[in-house]
Amino acid sequence: MAIHEKTLIDPDRLITSDSLVVDGVDVSGHWNTMILPRTLRDYDDGFEDHLKQYSGAENVHRCWQCGSCTNSCTMYAQNTDFNPRYWIYLTRLGLTEEILKDKEIIWQCVSCNKCTNICPKDVRPEGVMKALAHWIEAEGHGAKSNSTVFDEEFARQCLVRGRIEDSEVMSNFYKLSQQDIKEMALHGWLGIFVARMNKWNELRHGHVFRFLARTPIMHSLHMGWSMIFKPKTKSWGRTGEVLSQYVKEQKELAHG
Amino acid sequence: MTDTVLVVGAGPTGLSAAAGVASIGKKVILVEKEAVLGGAPIISGYAKLVPSGEWAKDAIGRMVKRVEDNPNVTIHKSTRVTKVEGESGNFTVTLSNGQTAQVGSIILGTGFTHFDSINKPEWGFGTYEDVLTTTQMEQMVSAGKIACPSNGRVPERVAILLCVGSRDRQIGREWCSKICCTVSTNLAMEIKELSPTTEVFIYYMDIRTFGLYEDKFYWKSQEEFKTKFVKARIAEVTKSADGRLLVKGEDTLVKRPIVIPMDIVVHAVGMDPNEENPDIAKVFGIGLEKHGFIDRGEQYTSTFSSTRRGIYVGGSALGPEDIDTSISHGLAMAMRAVGEMNALVQKAA
Repeated sequence: MAIHEKTLIDPDRLITSDSLVVDGVDVSGHWNTMILPRTLRDYDDGFEDHLKQYSGAENVHRCWQCGSCTNSCTMYAQNTDFNPRYWIYLTRLGLTEEILKDKEIIWQCVSCNKCTNICPKDVRPEGVMKALAHWIEAEGHGAKSNSTVFDEEFARQCLVRGRIEDSEVMSNFYKLSQQDIKEMALHGWLGIFVARMNKWNELRHGHVFRFLARTPIMHSLHMGWSMIFKPKTKSWGRTGEVLSQYVKEQKELAHG
Repeated sequence: MTDTVLVVGAGPTGLSAAAGVASIGKKVILVEKEAVLGGAPIISGYAKLVPSGEWAKDAIGRMVKRVEDNPNVTIHKSTRVTKVEGESGNFTVTLSNGQTAQVGSIILGTGFTHFDSINKPEWGFGTYEDVLTTTQMEQMVSAGKIACPSNGRVPERVAILLCVGSRDRQIGREWCSKICCTVSTNLAMEIKELSPTTEVFIYYMDIRTFGLYEDKFYWKSQEEFKTKFVKARIAEVTKSADGRLLVKGEDTLVKRPIVIPMDIVVHAVGMDPNEENPDIAKVFGIGLEKHGFIDRGEQYTSTFSSTRRGIYVGGSALGPEDIDTSISHGLAMAMRAVGEMNALVQKAA
């Protein structure tokens, strides 16, 4: 393919087909590669202020693009696509489509805060990374991270019953994050984990007490019981309802 | 002869020089080609000055009054110098009003000419009504209302293009005009003050707000007034079907072409050599440097000398200069002019 400046071309703007006929002329081969224009046609003037509603981005407008943040960045050293300076610039101009192209890596910020320490304008780039990651997730621009899925299920159960039920948290977490429990049990870490609990060897060699002591019999029974009769905090009543309402109000206050 | 100094040009440089010479008790003949005193800040109707924030008509107005009220200063408005004969300590000058005068020294505060944006036709000045220069925008600020000249609507967006007529080999302007970055960041704040709903974008190659202008203008404009700085040299200004302007260029930080709608585009015009410098050079018998500004003589021991003895030059006649520095030049030249005359008197005695 006769295209050299690959870095300037996003894959989604590249159109190729195995065979192409235009106006009756067969243009298969080199000439069937088309590139959609990459011109930026507008800014979203309100985006910078919008992002400032997410904590961490308060100083984003101070940036003058010196690049100290990217230069000092732990993640940039791993992956040169991780470029805080660039995302801050896009934020200032409201080039949100460009930001979203990097939604799969923005959350990878490790919060080492080297950028925040070095920034001559006190932009606090680490906070901006956090705000961007939150914006991407909160406004449905990206898939929820596994940790968010877990947190949500955990919080849901707390609100309903005042406490969690371990096996329900785990099974719902795997279900919601689309991890196949059967697959994990047959070929993954879950199978290995369970296999290690197998203490039949102790029993076979006549170590009855050791077998009883090392096999989580009571724990398994307790787990099974809890799966059917879910434990609930005493006199939980309407507490969950009131808490949910409070959380909802706080979110509205923070993000409008 | 050795008690009179000719000052040419009544802008910040000349007004300062005239007041300086008069304050040491010497006489001044002040010649100004325009009908009013004050130079570019008054004639072009600047708004608030950098860095004082005072309105030009107030600040420069005080300088004018100080000179007008001084009995040691004789003022000739709408007048030019047509002939200079003699030598340091004993010049005979002829004015366009027919008068002649004997003077000991000559101070040139002949200033600059604003770059004429018509020389960059691709940026739309002269083609579209809503493309303005910084001086026109300053006049709009002075008038107190920000509106598109084409139909009077309040602009949603204003783009200020830096380096119009500066740092541009294409049109033979190879110098930095020094003050436009600061003026533009200041203008952005003035626009925002008058029209809070307007977003101001500054398209830049570099931001050169030197010295204390850094935080007082650049940072303040960015941090308090939310001016947006875009690193792009605009290639072309065109118009879209809906009547808005389109700035076309490459955003060098995003590495992508841009075509962005704007309502007003402001050219931050640079400082050209005074368009009359070839004539001035001929009349005063002095040299010009390679860009066409007035050339300096030896600077370390004969500060502000031109290439002819007894003729001093300062301010924006030497190259792009800010008002405060021009005022200092004026005062320094007063010192040089009177000092040279005193030395000649002592030598003769």
